[in-house]
Amino acid sequence: MRAKLAWMLTPLLVLCMSFSYGQEKTISGNVTDQTGLPLPGVSIVVVGTTNGTQTDFDGNYSISASTGQVLRFSYIGQKTVERTIGTSSTINVQMEEDAQALEEVIVTGQGSGIARRKLSTTVDVLDAEDIDKLPANQIDQLLQSTTPSAQVRLSSGQPGTAAIIRTRGPISAASSATPVIIVDGIRVDNLNSNPQLGIGTGGANVSALADIPVESIEKIEYIKGGAATTLYGADAANGVIQIITKKGKDGKSSAFFETNIGVIKGTTDYLKYDRTAEALFEPGLSQEFKVGLNGGSEKFSYNFAGALYTDDSFNDINEQIRRSFTFGFTAKVTEKLQYQGSFSYVNFESNLDYNANTSFSRFSGIEGSARGDTDAFTDAEWQDELARYRRIGELVDITSTTNRITAANKFIYDINDALQVNATIGIDTRNTVQESLQSNALLVELGSIAPGTTDQGALSRVLRSAFTLTTDVNITHRANTDNFSFVSILGGQFFRTSDRQNRLDGSGGVDGTRSLNNFSEQAFSDFVLENANYGLYFLENIGIYNVAFLEFGGRLDRNTASGSNTDALFLPKVGITYNLSDHDFYRDAAISNVLSTVRLRANYGEATNFAQPFSQDRTFAQNPFLGGPSFTFNNPGNDELVSERVKTTEFGVELGFFNNRLFLSGTRYVGVTKDALFTPQSAPSTGQLNQIQNIGEVENKGYEFELRATPIQTEKHNLSVTLSYNTNDNLVTDSGGAPAFVVGGFTVLGSVVEEGQSLGYLRGTAAVLQDDGTYAFEPNTALGDTFAPNFGSMGLNYTWGDFNFFATADYQFGGKITDLSFLLRHLRGTDDTGIPEELIGTTSPFNYVNFFVFDNDFLKVRNIGASYNFGEIAKPLFSNIRLGVTVTNPFNWTAGNFDPETTGSGISAQNGFASGGFAYGTESAPRTYVASLRFEF
Amino acid sequence: MKKLIIFSLTILAFGCTGDFEQVVDFKDVENPNLSEESVVGQPNSASIWLTGLERQLGLVFNETLVLAELGSDNYVNTQTFFNQFMDGLEIQITDPDMRDTQRQIQRLRELAVFGLEAVGPGDPNYNSEIEAEFNFFEGLSYLFSAMYFSALPQEPVGVPVTSEQHYQNAIVAFDAALALNAKPEYHLAKARANYYLGNKSAAVTAASAALTLSGDFDRVVLFDEANGPSNTFENALYQRATFDDLQPLPTLDFLDPKYSFLSTSQDAPVHYLKAEEAYLILAEANLSDNDIVAARANLTSLLDLIDTREVRTINDNIEQRSQVAEGSRPDSDDIVVNGRSGLVLDRQSDLVDVPSVSGTSLTAADVTAMQDDDAGLSLLYRTRQEVFIAEGLRFVDMGVKLVIDENEILLNENINEGDLGTVPVIPSFIAAIVGDLDAINYVPGSGVATTVIDLNDILVANKTSASVVPFE
Repeated sequence: MRAKLAWMLTPLLVLCMSFSYGQEKTISGNVTDQTGLPLPGVSIVVVGTTNGTQTDFDGNYSISASTGQVLRFSYIGQKTVERTIGTSSTINVQMEEDAQALEEVIVTGQGSGIARRKLSTTVDVLDAEDIDKLPANQIDQLLQSTTPSAQVRLSSGQPGTAAIIRTRGPISAASSATPVIIVDGIRVDNLNSNPQLGIGTGGANVSALADIPVESIEKIEYIKGGAATTLYGADAANGVIQIITKKGKDGKSSAFFETNIGVIKGTTDYLKYDRTAEALFEPGLSQEFKVGLNGGSEKFSYNFAGALYTDDSFNDINEQIRRSFTFGFTAKVTEKLQYQGSFSYVNFESNLDYNANTSFSRFSGIEGSARGDTDAFTDAEWQDELARYRRIGELVDITSTTNRITAANKFIYDINDALQVNATIGIDTRNTVQESLQSNALLVELGSIAPGTTDQGALSRVLRSAFTLTTDVNITHRANTDNFSFVSILGGQFFRTSDRQNRLDGSGGVDGTRSLNNFSEQAFSDFVLENANYGLYFLENIGIYNVAFLEFGGRLDRNTASGSNTDALFLPKVGITYNLSDHDFYRDAAISNVLSTVRLRANYGEATNFAQPFSQDRTFAQNPFLGGPSFTFNNPGNDELVSERVKTTEFGVELGFFNNRLFLSGTRYVGVTKDALFTPQSAPSTGQLNQIQNIGEVENKGYEFELRATPIQTEKHNLSVTLSYNTNDNLVTDSGGAPAFVVGGFTVLGSVVEEGQSLGYLRGTAAVLQDDGTYAFEPNTALGDTFAPNFGSMGLNYTWGDFNFFATADYQFGGKITDLSFLLRHLRGTDDTGIPEELIGTTSPFNYVNFFVFDNDFLKVRNIGASYNFGEIAKPLFSNIRLGVTVTNPFNWTAGNFDPETTGSGISAQNGFASGGFAYGTESAPRTYVASLRFEF
Repeated sequence: MKKLIIFSLTILAFGCTGDFEQVVDFKDVENPNLSEESVVGQPNSASIWLTGLERQLGLVFNETLVLAELGSDNYVNTQTFFNQFMDGLEIQITDPDMRDTQRQIQRLRELAVFGLEAVGPGDPNYNSEIEAEFNFFEGLSYLFSAMYFSALPQEPVGVPVTSEQHYQNAIVAFDAALALNAKPEYHLAKARANYYLGNKSAAVTAASAALTLSGDFDRVVLFDEANGPSNTFENALYQRATFDDLQPLPTLDFLDPKYSFLSTSQDAPVHYLKAEEAYLILAEANLSDNDIVAARANLTSLLDLIDTREVRTINDNIEQRSQVAEGSRPDSDDIVVNGRSGLVLDRQSDLVDVPSVSGTSLTAADVTAMQDDDAGLSLLYRTRQEVFIAEGLRFVDMGVKLVIDENEILLNENINEGDLGTVPVIPSFIAAIVGDLDAINYVPGSGVATTVIDLNDILVANKTSASVVPFE
C-alpha cells in the first residue's frame, strides 16, 4: 500500500516540483577521476530528458537543469554517478574506476563480444585516440610500431604499396602472412600483393591495404592467430584485424573540420650515391581536408566523416589522391531491436615508378650503377645522365585507380535479458584499374628501341574486381548463478569471395593514345578465383567464482576451395583464464596495493589456410599460339589436398603493479602448422609443373612480452611508455621428403623452404676461406633467416594539460637480408666493397653470395608528434581547436648501409609467400612532416 | 471473393519460389579450369595438341639456347641475368637453368607421348601426318637430351640413359615419323643423331635423303610475340634495356643479331633443322673420307643455298659493343679481327644487314683453296660455327654436357650424386682454355682485335678425341 502510494505521489511530486521550481538554473562543476585528474568527455544528462552535455578538456561542464532533477555522469571505465540537484549550482564529481566496466569488451568475431578478462587469448587494441594522433592514411602504417607484437614492414616508399605484416612468424609457405581484415563484421579484400594478372613494375605493387577505410575508426583489434582466430573461418590462421567504426554517441552533437599540410622528403639515409637523390628526389607536399559529424539521441546516433587527400610524393613522378567518406549509425528500432549500419567509400589513385627487377627502373639503375659507376661520371657526363633520367621519369606511366565500397549491417535483437541474437550482412566491393603505357618515346629514351621508332608502343590494362559477401547469424546466451557465469554463443557464418581479373595488352602502338583500339596487336587474359566458405561455430565461456574462466568452442567449416572428397573441417579451441587478483581475499590483502593484477591464461586452438581454389584438380591449358589454340598440361592434380592446419598452444601471465601503473604481459606460444601446403619442385623428368601438396610441417615458437608503464600521473602530467619484445623461432620440421624449394628471390640466391631450416631462409653458394688461403665454394649454404627472430616496438606518450607529445618506434634484429643493389654494382664491376681480392673476376659473383648478405637489424623511429588543445581560447566559436605536428620516419639505425625494409620485389604470386629477404631497387618510406589543425564544434 | 484474393496472392507469392533457389544459393562457384575430358576424345584435339608441341619446342629453345651459346665461344655474358655460370662452364647441379632445361626437354617428351597415346587415338580427325609429327617431337626430346646431357632419364623418374642411347631413341622415333610421312627435316634430325654418334654412313644417307626431298628446307621454331612464348634469345641479342647485353665473339660480329624484331605478333624464329646442316654433314664426311672434291662441292652448294637465305636490314644502333663501358669491344667496320676484315659491323651510323637464317664468311675462293688437311677441317668447323650461331650447336660440337638437376637427383631413386649425368662433361682440352673461350685482345681505337684462342683449331687438334669431331 505504501509503495503504491509512493508511485501515485511521485508524478504529482515531480509535477509540483517542476511547477514550483519552474525556473532552470545553470549547474556547473568539475569532474575528476579517482586520482583527481580532470576527466574530459564525461557524458552528463539530466535524467528523463534529452538535455545533455560533456565535460571539456579540463573536466568542466555546465548544464541547465532544475533543482530536484537528477544529473547522470557516465564515462567509460568509471562507475556511473547520479546526483540530485540541490540548492547549490556547483556539483563537482569524483568518479571511481569501475572494475567491471573496465573490462574492455573484445568483439571476438562472433556473438556479442566478451570481456577481455574472460578471454584466454591476447588481443592488441588500438583505440580512436591512438589512431587520431597518427598522420597515416593506411591501415598498415597505423599498425606499424603501435601494435606490440606485429611486424609491419613497409616494402617501398612509393604510394599505396604493400607492407609485409606478420606476427608469430611465417606459418605458411603457400600464402602471404597478411591477416584477414574485417570491418564491422564484414570481410574485406586484403590482397597484399600484385594481382595474378597485375602489371609488373619490378617490385612495388599497390596493395588492397592502401584503400581500407581508416576514417572514423572506433578501434582496431589485432588478433594474432591460434585459438583467438579459430572461430573466424578457415583462412584466418594468419590472424585477424578487426576494425570497428564509429556509429555516433548518444549525447551532444559535435562536428570537426581538420586540415593537414605536410612536406614529404625522400630519405637519403640508405642511398649508395648522393646522385640518386639528386636525380630522383624532389620534396613534395601533402594536403588533406577532413570533416566529421557525430551525435545522436538515445534512439538514433550517427557518425559521418569525409576526407580528401593528395600528395606529390618525395620524388619527381609519384602522386596519390584519396577521396573517401564514411558513415555509420545505430538505431534503436524497438526496445529489443537495434540496427547498426556503416558504409564507406574510398577512391584511391596513385602512380608508380619502375622498380628493382626491371632494367627500366631508374632508382635501381642509378643505385646499381647500371650505366657505369654513378660517382665516376664527370660533372658534365652526370648532367647528361641526370637529364636522361628526368626525361625517362616524365615518360613513365604506371597508374592505378581503385574504388572500394564497404557496407555493413548489423541487427541486434534482445529476446530477453539473457538471450541476444546478432545478425550481420554486408559486402565489400573493390574495383581496380591498373594501366601501364610504354610509349615509343619512353622505349627510345630507355635505349630499348631504336630512335625514330614510332610503332612499338605498348599499353597494358588490368581490371580487377573483388567482391566479398559476409553473413553471420548467432545467438548469445548469458546466465549467472551464484558462483558461475555462462556465456554461450552459437552461430553460423557464410562468406564468399570472388576475384575476377581481365588483362588487356596492346602492342605495336603509336604515341598519343590510351585506347587499346589504337594498338595493332591486342592480347588478353583473364583470371577468376571464387570461393564460398561456410561454417557453424559455438563457444562456451564459463566463469567460476568470477575469477576463473573456462572457454571452449569450435568451428565446423566447409569451403568450395577444397576437393570434392574433402570433409568439413572441425577446428576446436579451448582456453582457461585465472584472474587471481580478483579474489576478494586478494583485493583485501596488502599485496594488492603493490601487485594489483595477477592473471594467468592458457589456450589451445586451431586455424587453417586453404590452397588456391581448385588446385587439387588435374587440368589442361589451352594457350593461344600464333592465332590458334594450343593444348598443354597444366596443374598435375592432387586428390588428397586439404587445408593446412595451424595448432597453437599459448600460455600467458599478466601482472599489474601499483594499480596497474606498471603492467607486464608475457605470452609463450607454440604454433605447429600440420599438413603445411608446400609446392616443391616436381622431378624435372616428369615434365610436369609443380603441384601444391600437404607435405610439410612448420613450427613457430616464441615469447611475447609487453610492458606498459605510467611513471608520471599527476593532476597535470601524465607520462606513459610502452615497450614490447617478441621472439620467434621458426623451423620447417618436415618437408615430406621433398627437395628444398625456392619461394622467393633468385634460385641461385633464394629464399628457400627446407627441412631443418626456417621458412624462407636465405640459401646460396658461399665462398669459404680455407686454411691454405684459397676459397672453397659451398653450394646451398644457409645464409640466415629472413624473418628477424627478435622484434618489438616502443612508444611514449606525455600529456601536460592540453599539451600532448608522443613517439613510436620499432626494431628488429637477428635476421639476414640480401643487398641486391650491391650485388648488381659488383656484377658491373663498380663496387667490390668487402669482397676478397682473390674472388673478384675469377668466378661468378653468384658463387660467393655470402658477401652480399647482411644483418637486417634496425631501430626506426616511426612517429614523433605533438598536439595542443586550445580549449577555452577557442570558445565560443569552437569547442576546441587542436594543433598537431608529426614527423614520420625521422630517425633510424640499421646494421647495413641499405634499408632492410624495402623488399617489395620479394612477392612472386598473388597472395604469395613474402620472405622479405631481398632489399632491392626501390625507395624507402619517406620522411614526412605534417601539421594539422582541427576545429571542433 | 476475399478468400480468393488471398489465395491467389499466396499462390503468386510462393509461386515465385520455384526458381528462387538459385537466388539464395551462394555456394555456386566457377571452376575456370580445363579438364581432361575437354581435351582427350574431342574432335581436332590432336591438331591443337600438335600446336601445343610447337609451342613447347619454343620453351625448350628458350632454355637451351642461352646455356649453349654462353657455354660456347659464340657469346659472352657481360652483365645480364641470363645465366651467370655458363661463360665459365661452371656447370652445377644447383643451377636452376639445369633444372628448367631438363624439365622443358622432358615436358616435350611427355606431351608427345600423351599425344601419341591418348590425344591422337581419341580424336576422330587424327591422321598420319599428325602422328608423324608426334613421333618427330618425341624424337626431338631424345635428340636434345642426347645433345646437351651425358645422361638423362627417358621416362618420369626413370633410370638415366646415356647420351648415345638417347640418340638411338631419337633415331627410332624419327624412323617412326618417316614411316608415316617423309619430311626432309625428319631425315636431317636422324642425320644429326647419327652424326653425333659418329655413324658416318647412316648420317650421310639421312642427310642425302633430306636433300633429295628438298634442297632448301628450313624447319623453324615459332615464337608468339603477343601471347608468348617470345624468343628469349632474341631478347638477349637484340632487345636492349640496360642489362640485357650478350656480346658475340668479334669474329662473329657480322652475324649478330641473328634474331631481331619481326612484328608485334610473331617473334623471330629459330631455324633449327635446315638444309645447310645436311651439306655440312656431307662435307665433313667427305673430308673424313679424304674426298676433297666432293667436300668442295658440298660447300659450294652450301654457299649457293646461303645466298638464297634472307638477310634482314635492321636498325641496330641501340646496341653498343660494351663491357659496361661503351665501345670497349670492337664496334667499327674498319676493325680487323684475327687478320680478317669485314667481320665487324658499324651499327651506329647506318642500318646493318644481318643474315637471319644462315650467314658465313666462307667464300667461293676459300672453298676452292680448301685442302684435305687440318686447316680445311678447321675452316669447316668455322663455317659450322657461323652458320649455326645462336642455334645451340656449337656447344654440342665442343663436346660439353650439362648436368642433371639436384631436384631430379633427390627425387629419383635411380640417380645418386656422382653418377654419370650428374657430373659435367668438359673435354680436357676445353677445360684447359675455359678462361679464354670468350677472351679478346682489343684496345679501343687500335683497329685491331684478336681472339685469344681459335677454338676451331683446338677442336681439330683434338679430333681424335671421342668427344668432338665425330667422323675423325
